[in-house]
Amino acid sequence: MSEERLYPGVGPDERTTFDAYSAFDVPADLRELHGRYDVESTARRVRNFRYAQEWMMMIGGGWVATIPELPVKTGLGKIVWDDAKSADELGHRLPELRCGKRSVTTSEPANEGFAAVIQEVAEPERPDLTIEKITGMFDVLKPHLLAVYDRMQRETDQISDAPTIEILDDIMRRTRKHIAWGDEVLERLCDTDGKRERRRIRANELRAQLEACGGVTGEIADESPRVH
Amino acid sequence: MKRFIQHEELARDSRFIRQQNVLTTVLATLPDEVDAVVETFDKFGPMIEESSRGTAAEPLFEKFGPAFALVTLNEPIVAGQEGVEDRLKMRMHGIFVGEMQALEGAGRSLWDFPDAPWDFKMNMARQCWDEARHVQIYEKLMEHVGAQAGDYPESTFLFECACSDDPAMRVAGVNRGLEGLACDVFRDLIRYADATGDETMKQAVDYVLADELTHVRFGSEWVKEFTKDDKDHFERTQEFRREVDKQFSFGGSRSDREDAAIRIAWQDRLEAGFTEEELRELAEISSGGPSQKTMLAAAKILQERHLARRAAAAQDGEARS
Repeated sequence: MSEERLYPGVGPDERTTFDAYSAFDVPADLRELHGRYDVESTARRVRNFRYAQEWMMMIGGGWVATIPELPVKTGLGKIVWDDAKSADELGHRLPELRCGKRSVTTSEPANEGFAAVIQEVAEPERPDLTIEKITGMFDVLKPHLLAVYDRMQRETDQISDAPTIEILDDIMRRTRKHIAWGDEVLERLCDTDGKRERRRIRANELRAQLEACGGVTGEIADESPRVH
Repeated sequence: MKRFIQHEELARDSRFIRQQNVLTTVLATLPDEVDAVVETFDKFGPMIEESSRGTAAEPLFEKFGPAFALVTLNEPIVAGQEGVEDRLKMRMHGIFVGEMQALEGAGRSLWDFPDAPWDFKMNMARQCWDEARHVQIYEKLMEHVGAQAGDYPESTFLFECACSDDPAMRVAGVNRGLEGLACDVFRDLIRYADATGDETMKQAVDYVLADELTHVRFGSEWVKEFTKDDKDHFERTQEFRREVDKQFSFGGSRSDREDAAIRIAWQDRLEAGFTEEELRELAEISSGGPSQKTMLAAAKILQERHLARRAAAAQDGEARS
């Protein structure tokens, strides 16, 4: 009996005896190559996402001093840090997408319309406008981003663009928590019909503006779920 | 949302009462003379009375008069001493609102300076989370010592002094002035917790102190970065920090003097990036102001005057009725 070969030789009879499957096949890799976005369009989308995350961080930071409800103030403190981490992770993806070493801090709105949406989200300032503040960011903007991130995850090349998928995984996990927190805050704050109406009006106005500009990437209709 | 807000615009719920900041500012400039301290506090008496009305400070005002802070807040916290419970509650409340203003200061740095370098924003965002946790920690510690949010008037002078419109001065004020003061206060609190065997307080405050060292380091690095090509800017920033340090010394109550209520935490500050030279300067800046002996002598006169006025008012009321 010939000795088992641990390494292949140069002749056809010099193959190893290992079975022809690898750990990658257990379970079977059902992913397919080719996604909806090429390197350039993924890079552009990542810059768009980073723009939204960076501005949410800055807006949250600005609001902390203008919100009288203590648990909302402290809750926002954590969310500001989460949004900063999200923007940072997206930024670190950019050089990997052929955007150059310095691109790690690049943010870019898809269009002027989306930049205007961000400024509109930031607009409420007075301490009696916590409902408008939280509605804008947590009922409209974050659910919209979650929907777009989810779609990006599903439609991008599952193997080639896996690093973007991993980053979005983390951001989506945090974003879901933020949306749940915002909803809890708003449920508590909106304890009259009048306040619930303020929430509804604010959400509808912002959502219309978001849809008109094509959302964070400027390309797609708002996929965020309707609120109450 | 506009950029750069005033300290009067800090949003609070209905539990909180504001204290006029002017008294704290004046305290930083008082000479070591009993008469001067007495006249100053007498002058501000009605204002102090108004801000303490309806709070846990009201009984203290009734007992000690307008100088109640001199026998509570400005005195060391020593286990077993008479009145230490009130001092501890007021100290905890002061720290709690200070943390809230530090959170607001860090948050506003993100909004007020949108074009700042990304690493600066990351540091400020992290500080937001840290300060938010500190507010939550001190809310629990207040309960731990029997106090609650809003029990005492809030002075917003920390935010007022520290929040400059210039980013280098902002970090010098918030991250080096305010957070440096926090290092001193927390080390003092850890000493108290250690002396009383309060492990809960000791551990929680030690974690907070560790965070504050990081925040001071942020400040030390960003002051250098923001002023690296401008010596004049650096000098103005240093001058601003000296002014803030003077204000935050409360007329010598936070200093390296033997009679200070809170001593400068040299070792912690060195670890945080302050230089020996800066600390010697801080010790010098904070050493002025009335001594503890002067403060207590003034407090005694002010208490006597206050009680006499109360007695006269009561007599007057009886005569009228």
